[in-house]
Amino acid sequence: MNRYPRWPIHLALVVVSGVMLVPFYWVLKTSVSGENIYAYPPSIVPARIHPFFYVDVWYAIPFARYLMNSVVVSAIAVAGNVVFNAMAGYALTHGFRGKGFVVLLFLTCMMVPFQATIIPAYLITGRLGLLDSWLGLALPQCSTIICIFVFKASFDAVPRSLIDAARIDGLSEWRIIWHVMMPLSKSAIATNVILAFIWSWNNFLWPLIMTRTADMQTLPLGLARFLSYQEDTTGALYAFCIMVLAPGLLLFLMAQKEFMRGLTSGAVKG
Amino acid sequence: MATLRRVLANRFVLVPGLLAIVVLAWNAYVFTHHHGIVAGRVVDQAGRPVGGASVALWVYNFTTYEEKEHVTTDHDGTFRFTNNPSHRIQVSAEKPGVGRSERVPVFLYFRSQDIDLSAPLRLAGAG
Amino acid sequence: MAGVWRVRRQRTRLALLLWCFLAPSLAIFLLYRVIPVIWNLVLSFQYWSPLKPAEPAGLDHYEDLLYDDVFWQALWNTLIVIASAPIGIVLALVLALLVNAEIRGRDAYRTIIFTSYPLMTVAVAIIWRWMFDERVGLLNYAARSLHLIDTPIPFLNSFTWALPCVIVANIWQMLGFYMIILLTGLQNIPHELHEAAAIDGASAAGRFRRITLPLLRPSIFLAFVIGMLNSVTSFDLVYVMTGGGPGRATEILVTYIYKLGFNQTKFDDAAAVTVVFFVLLVATTWGANRFAGGEAGAAETE
Repeated sequence: MNRYPRWPIHLALVVVSGVMLVPFYWVLKTSVSGENIYAYPPSIVPARIHPFFYVDVWYAIPFARYLMNSVVVSAIAVAGNVVFNAMAGYALTHGFRGKGFVVLLFLTCMMVPFQATIIPAYLITGRLGLLDSWLGLALPQCSTIICIFVFKASFDAVPRSLIDAARIDGLSEWRIIWHVMMPLSKSAIATNVILAFIWSWNNFLWPLIMTRTADMQTLPLGLARFLSYQEDTTGALYAFCIMVLAPGLLLFLMAQKEFMRGLTSGAVKG
Repeated sequence: MATLRRVLANRFVLVPGLLAIVVLAWNAYVFTHHHGIVAGRVVDQAGRPVGGASVALWVYNFTTYEEKEHVTTDHDGTFRFTNNPSHRIQVSAEKPGVGRSERVPVFLYFRSQDIDLSAPLRLAGAG
Repeated sequence: MAGVWRVRRQRTRLALLLWCFLAPSLAIFLLYRVIPVIWNLVLSFQYWSPLKPAEPAGLDHYEDLLYDDVFWQALWNTLIVIASAPIGIVLALVLALLVNAEIRGRDAYRTIIFTSYPLMTVAVAIIWRWMFDERVGLLNYAARSLHLIDTPIPFLNSFTWALPCVIVANIWQMLGFYMIILLTGLQNIPHELHEAAAIDGASAAGRFRRITLPLLRPSIFLAFVIGMLNSVTSFDLVYVMTGGGPGRATEILVTYIYKLGFNQTKFDDAAAVTVVFFVLLVATTWGANRFAGGEAGAAETE
């Protein structure tokens, strides 16, 4: 390995990290101090820090309701993802007639972005009578193809001897999934949970289309409405941003490895 | 016992668990302190307590503050409101002949938080 | 003989069970991916209204599109956005190379750069909207402090700056994601190739061109496809940052579909635009596939 100086690399990476972090710092600073909304030139370090914009946001909009909506929808989506994807992934580890067709179907579905389906998806959900409900919000997100393949790869790695032993013991296929495969696939489950949660938590377009009443809105909708309703004239908007970013950020920091690994194993969802 | 410790040490259990404890503790605090009591003192420019001053409570309403309630201070200059509904209020005091105070903004952490104002309302200027 | 029949029965039962396992996921994809694509196509050839049953319309909607200025502007903007995807990928490639070097703290750098991806796009849009603000935005302040400009530039209100600003915000958010994909590709290149070439006297630049780049092609293709898909479907960012404005300077096909369908309730026109959008996507992906040398590599890279 040839020697090359390390410090230019560090310098470049520090600069890039700064570029990535400055927007965070800026919005955090304004959310706790309310400066730089009207003032020019902007100050780098806040003069007075107070958390009262967060209190304002909590009471100005039904934040608790939006939070609950987001949490419930994400919970349904995550649960659906784990169960349905595990089932589908397990089915794909066997060979059966029509398996090639199914895999091809999945791959082509990955190429269809959600935005190209919004009109019929809305009409279908309307026909099902699920408009403006938690189930309707969560249903399109209850299964994702990347996660099916993540489970399949994880199940493929389970040694055949274990499965055969379980079959000899008389376990049905269903119980094989839950008692043999899943305990050995902790990281696949973690990847599924994290990807499903982040995608459903951040989803903006589907709730925008789907919800008819203000009561059923989720956090991204609440944030966009807050912007148009209050303009960006108070620190409360930025406090709202921070409150909305915090759960996603926290989950990401807790589970980075699983997140990145899940995304690189064939990610085409975006 | 060892498995219990391992479960607890898992970050996916530890972090939400700590968050749940914090949320519960906060809610317990809010529940025991939300009577809407706002108490304070009124003094004049020299620092002497002023009795019989009229104190007004202003409540934030979307864009402005509106006057909501009046009380009068006791002979030792203390006053006490008992049903403040909001988290963002102002208080001001005046007494004809002694002066009036500024409108002091008070920011609370939750609605109807009980609070004892530390700085007294200072009357200035002649009524 | 009976044994053969029993095995057959078991196998059919197993196959049935497997289809039952696949059923929920298949149902969801059928409902929300397959049927919508077909229905879109059908809808674009009909007159649709909420009260009456649909009537056939032939090519009327497509003809309307031909004369629709907004549609052409949206299409043009979408093409610009597609063309800007490589910028992000080149930047991400540089970053991936830097992070791949043997330096201390590379995991920390990787995490910091990737942090922007899992954030809510609506919040990112609000943050960048404010950073580009004319009066108090950080970028105007920085440019004026560095004496690059004298008067503040109204970034999001000018016809020339609005779309580039949206593209910048999108690249900021996706940079970490592209970097991770390219990093995975880089780490899959065996060390021995580099070492052998170095021993043979190849320069660093030569090694990069002859070894790294060709072996990185599938990853670059994947990053491009994802990048293109993501930027072309970035409804959240455009809607919150500029709403499609000023005028229609940042209107992309997705926002136009939304406005046609849900602001004007013209589902049939929106379906026609969706069909065009979908064809554009497929064509671009196919074109990129050909350009990358036929390496589809979309599903299971590793």
